[in-house]
This record gives sequence, structure tokens and C-alpha cells, in this order.
Amino acid sequence: MANTETALKEATTIIDGAIGAALVDYTSGMALGTVGGGKDLDLNVAAAGNTDVVRAKVRTMEMLGLNEEIEDILITLGSQYHLIRLLRSRGSNGLFLYLALDKSRANLAMARHQLRKIEASLEI
Amino acid sequence: MTAEAEVLGELRRLRARVPQLTGALAASADGLVLARDAADAEGAEHVAALTATALGVAQRLTDATGQGGFRELLVQGEHGYVATYAAGGSAVLTLLAEPRINVGRLHLEARRSSARIGALVDEALERRPDPRPQRRPEPRTPATAPAKSGPLPVRPPAAAPAVPPLPTHHPKEA
Repeated sequence: MANTETALKEATTIIDGAIGAALVDYTSGMALGTVGGGKDLDLNVAAAGNTDVVRAKVRTMEMLGLNEEIEDILITLGSQYHLIRLLRSRGSNGLFLYLALDKSRANLAMARHQLRKIEASLEI
Repeated sequence: MTAEAEVLGELRRLRARVPQLTGALAASADGLVLARDAADAEGAEHVAALTATALGVAQRLTDATGQGGFRELLVQGEHGYVATYAAGGSAVLTLLAEPRINVGRLHLEARRSSARIGALVDEALERRPDPRPQRRPEPRTPATAPAKSGPLPVRPPAAAPAVPPLPTHHPKEA
């Protein structure tokens, strides 16, 4: 079992091409923890902005009458992937993991797989 | 355009960017309304006065605990948030928000807006003609302003230039 800080560190070290990671509470839009990022990627801005992305998608699903849960959301940029993984274990409702990847160095399938494993080991 | 109109414009833009806001007002640090969007006039005055009181306590709290000057104050009630941000040296921005607001975004947007409002208010105060000629304007920091008796503290002449001198040119190092 890993705490927030170690889980995020793990995400940015073992996942190839990781630029930054954050654990975000999308009921408030605030980050519970951030690792990496820096001047070019303010993870607190990313946390607030992607909270709106997640909320919009949750609302859209409700409006469409889809009784499903979001597993992850992928955003593809010219040079980056942004991966949002909603946490579903008990006690971590309303949280998502956010991972920014360098497209040229990342393996998307592997990144998703590793992120799933990190989620399973995360204890909040 | 007057400063009030510009501040009001900024409040309106802020509310457009953050739709979960239910009210916005800019007030002086001593509790007078400078501009407001939504909330009736009486309500705004009341909120501005209460903000000044809360601000006083918050300032003492940051001082007493060595956290420096006041920056912001966030209160969550059962039915929403009240957030106050310092805007320059003599004004504050107070916002009311729904309970489901994205607080991260609220902070990001409000910090930007309060900086703009602070600049507008500070600039307007500087432009205002000084009724006492031959005297430099009082420092505008509210609670910390020194008592008026006695000569104003004198800044050491040219000891601390605002901009450090440029480094002398060195030939490019390898």
C-alpha cells in the first residue's frame, strides 16, 4: 500500500515519458498531491482545469442516461498525452489521478496499465 | 473610464468566467463598497463591513503566527463559500460561491482578478489630487500605517535602488 506521495513519485519514475502527476479531488478542484510538472506545466492549474473536464463528462453521461462509470479519459495533444484516471475504490470517491506524458517517449498502453496498478496500490 | 467602472467590469468578467459565483464585490480594507455585481446594495454594504472585520482578525492571525501579510480567506458554510482576497494595498475582493464550485479554479481566477483590481485601485488612489501640497502621500497599507504625529520615516537616500545595478559586462565564458 502506498501513500499519495509515493504513488505519485512511482507514477513519474516508472512510467516512461512522465512529465508530471497529480492526485486531484474533483469535488473541490484542489490537488491532494503533485509530483513533477514545473514551469511549463503548473499542476495546480491542471488540477482545477481537469476537474471541469471530469465534471462535464460525468454530467454528460447522466444526461445521456448512461448508467456507467468512467474508467479513464485520454487527451491527446501534439506532443503530450494527458491521462485522467478516476479512482473507484472505497474511500477514494471523487478523486482522479492525472498524468501528463511526453508523447515521443511514452507507451500509452503501458502507461495505462501501470497507472491502473498504481491506483490499486494507492491508499488515501 | 473611472476606476469604479473598470473594477465593476473586472467583477463581471470574473463572474462570466466562473459561473458558480453568486456574488462579487470589491471593498476597501476599511469596509466600504467600491463596486459590486449582484447582491443588493444593502447586502453588499453589510458584507463589505463584515469582510473588513474578518480581514482585521485574519491580518492579526497571520501576523501573530509569522505568516506575513494577508493574502486570502476562505470560509465554507453549509450552503456555499465566502472567499476574500487581498487586492493591492488597500482593497479586497470578496466572492460568494455555490457549494459545488471548483475551489481550485476559484482560487486561480480570483487571484488574477484581485491583482488587476488591486492595480486599478492603487492607480486611482495615486491619481487622486493630494489636498495637502508639499507632502508625500501617506502609505496606503491600512492597519499598519504609522501614527500621523511626527515626521514621516525617511527612506535611506539611494541606499536601496528599486532595480539592482546591471552587472558589468564580462567577456563570455566558455
